[in-house]
Amino acid sequence: MMTTHLERSAGPAVRSSSSSATVRRRRKRAELLAGYGFLTPWLLGFVLLTLGPMIASLYLAFTDYNLFSNPTWAGLANFTRLFHDPDYIQSWKVTAGYVLIGTPLKLAAALVVAMLLNAKRRGQGFYRSAFYAPSLIGASVSVAIVWKAMFIDGGIVDQVGQFFGAAPGGWVGNPSKTLPMLILLTVWQFGAPMVIFLAGLKQIPRELYEAASIDGAGPLRKFRSITVPMLSPVLFFNLLLETIHAFQIFASAFIISNGTGGPARSTLFYTLYLYQRGFVSFQMGYAAAMAWVLVLVVGVITAILFRSSRTWVHYSGEMR
Amino acid sequence: MKKFRFALVGMVAVVALSLSACSGGGSSGSAASGQATFNPNEKVTLNMTWWGNADRASRYAEAIKAFNVKYPNVTVQTSFAAWADYWPARSTEAASHSLPDVMQFDLSYIREYSQNGQLLDLQSYVDNHTIDLSTFDPNLVKSGSLSGKQVGIPTSTNTLAMFINEPVLKQLGISLPDTSTYTWADYNTFLAKAAAAGAKSSDGHQLYGGNDYTGTFWFFIQWLLQKGITPFKDDGTLGFTKSDVVDFLNLTGNLRSAKQLYPIDRQVALTPKDGFTTNEAASEMSWDNFLAQFSTDSGSTIKIVPLPSVDTGKKDLFYKPSMLLASGANTKHAAAAATLINFLLNDPQVGSIFGTSKGVPAAKAQRDAIKADPSSIDGQVIAYEEQVAKQVTKPTPLPVKGFGTIEAKWLSLAQDLDYGKTTPSDLADQWFAEAAIDMK
Repeated sequence: MMTTHLERSAGPAVRSSSSSATVRRRRKRAELLAGYGFLTPWLLGFVLLTLGPMIASLYLAFTDYNLFSNPTWAGLANFTRLFHDPDYIQSWKVTAGYVLIGTPLKLAAALVVAMLLNAKRRGQGFYRSAFYAPSLIGASVSVAIVWKAMFIDGGIVDQVGQFFGAAPGGWVGNPSKTLPMLILLTVWQFGAPMVIFLAGLKQIPRELYEAASIDGAGPLRKFRSITVPMLSPVLFFNLLLETIHAFQIFASAFIISNGTGGPARSTLFYTLYLYQRGFVSFQMGYAAAMAWVLVLVVGVITAILFRSSRTWVHYSGEMR
Repeated sequence: MKKFRFALVGMVAVVALSLSACSGGGSSGSAASGQATFNPNEKVTLNMTWWGNADRASRYAEAIKAFNVKYPNVTVQTSFAAWADYWPARSTEAASHSLPDVMQFDLSYIREYSQNGQLLDLQSYVDNHTIDLSTFDPNLVKSGSLSGKQVGIPTSTNTLAMFINEPVLKQLGISLPDTSTYTWADYNTFLAKAAAAGAKSSDGHQLYGGNDYTGTFWFFIQWLLQKGITPFKDDGTLGFTKSDVVDFLNLTGNLRSAKQLYPIDRQVALTPKDGFTTNEAASEMSWDNFLAQFSTDSGSTIKIVPLPSVDTGKKDLFYKPSMLLASGANTKHAAAAATLINFLLNDPQVGSIFGTSKGVPAAKAQRDAIKADPSSIDGQVIAYEEQVAKQVTKPTPLPVKGFGTIEAKWLSLAQDLDYGKTTPSDLADQWFAEAAIDMK
């Protein structure tokens, strides 16, 4: 920029426009090449580790591949098999239950606690970190092991439950309680969306609440008419991310069910079933087909969320 | 637009390169480095893996120490995993042609791996006496031979047995039927009586006679043999039908509905242990080499007795190679791997290190080395196999392709049955549908 300016001021007025344009183009080109040059490490990683395998997986989805011999073309056979597979349908039921119940609960918990922590109180820094910590370690193997130990027969949850009069028996062996147990695990990790809600809450102008108070609005009305609309971009962001994240659950289900998806297939999440088919039964083509169906479904859900966001997400500054 | 095109061309080029790199995954690995004889002075590193628990790991560590005394130039790097995690790891290695030089192997997967050329043919090393099989039973060795290639060598044998938890049996206050003549019906009566006894453990859990044994695929195979049915035909297809499956599952039908079997939800919660090893069930069937594991896990005196039969006294048992040793076809040190395999198979010291924890050793030298006190665990297992030797009348059923998966599917469906979520008839339908796909 500097040099161009100097050139302009230093050179005679008769300097032809074409040569300065050439110089500009050359500089732009140099910048472009430099840009791509710096991007190369990331680009290489992206292509080799993400894009390349994705394309290979798309190819494999149309083949029979048992990891040992070359893939043989199978056309749409894998996809048609999906619809007749009772385990596949079960995995959708389990995953849908987890997403539809777990995500709203998690976001609700995040929002409530964020609002509580929004008010100035002593030790709020400590509370914020304390609530945020589980989301950092929650997806790990060690937490899954501890969670299982908590919910086993005679574990702490069982003991507390019996103290309050519930029937004895852990949650781990009970097919109707394993999904709630895993939902609790994800709801416990509400810290990450909570922190984002906090940031969003802090951006809501105080005057809006003051004006509402003057007009005689109660806390519920303020929440409905000020907090939610002003938070809607943040809410949308969290909703989208948490939904996509919920579809990807694997580690905790794998650890708690010992890789079986049991008991009685109550923890047979989509990704776990995919793993079983691909790496335990050596049916990689089928697993690849499952993977792409998941990508499609999550893509459609994301598109729907974006479409719907036009109606309820309010970006301040828009003339709406 | 130019920028975009430039980027697109670049990406496509890299993608094409990476695809061509990974499509070469299917070609069979380079042929094993011929009949090279082992050079004891050459510094070689082998990697070895097995499935098992910490106890087995410490025994292997001792065995390798003994190996290094004889062959100091061979370094053995080891790793191990639990059974369920072992096979996905091996399949991933197989896909990248990086299987270990020496690995413990099982009959249920040997057909798949050998059909795809993943296992080293050890025949040449048997022929040139790097591996000495002179004291092995030829029928046993044959179980590791597929399509004329010796792809695995059995280390030891086991056969099915019934285990009794003596303290629990005493607490129940009932007696076991005569184990040389009892039938499945007699065993079921025993289970019903045990549940009705109403005894409780020290933490208040009810004691039972045993769990739902119809959930284990190998017991179904044993029952088929007792009925005179060949489970797996030579052409690799199943020799039984849906009605056989339903009949077997209905053996415990009444016990299941009367809730006289060990409760499934507690059993699932206790994994990797189970009712038997937590001293809440009096009996369990398993392979005879599990005596060591059961004794340590439960801390009680466990007795080993024969299985029930369909017809009185006619047990129709079979020897199964409890495990085999194999080598990946991609190994770069075939001769050294064969030497290590031979050491593990034949060395008497290794025999006394492992005892019968892997089964009764196939090599005579190792069997002799287990100077087992008859009351010790090793002594009991050996005595059991000697006791039932005359009842071992059937050849080893050779698992079909996809056996590992159909065995796991049986277990998963049986669990559904125990939770009351399916019926024997539905289970059979689902299982056969799954088997049709997995055996393709």
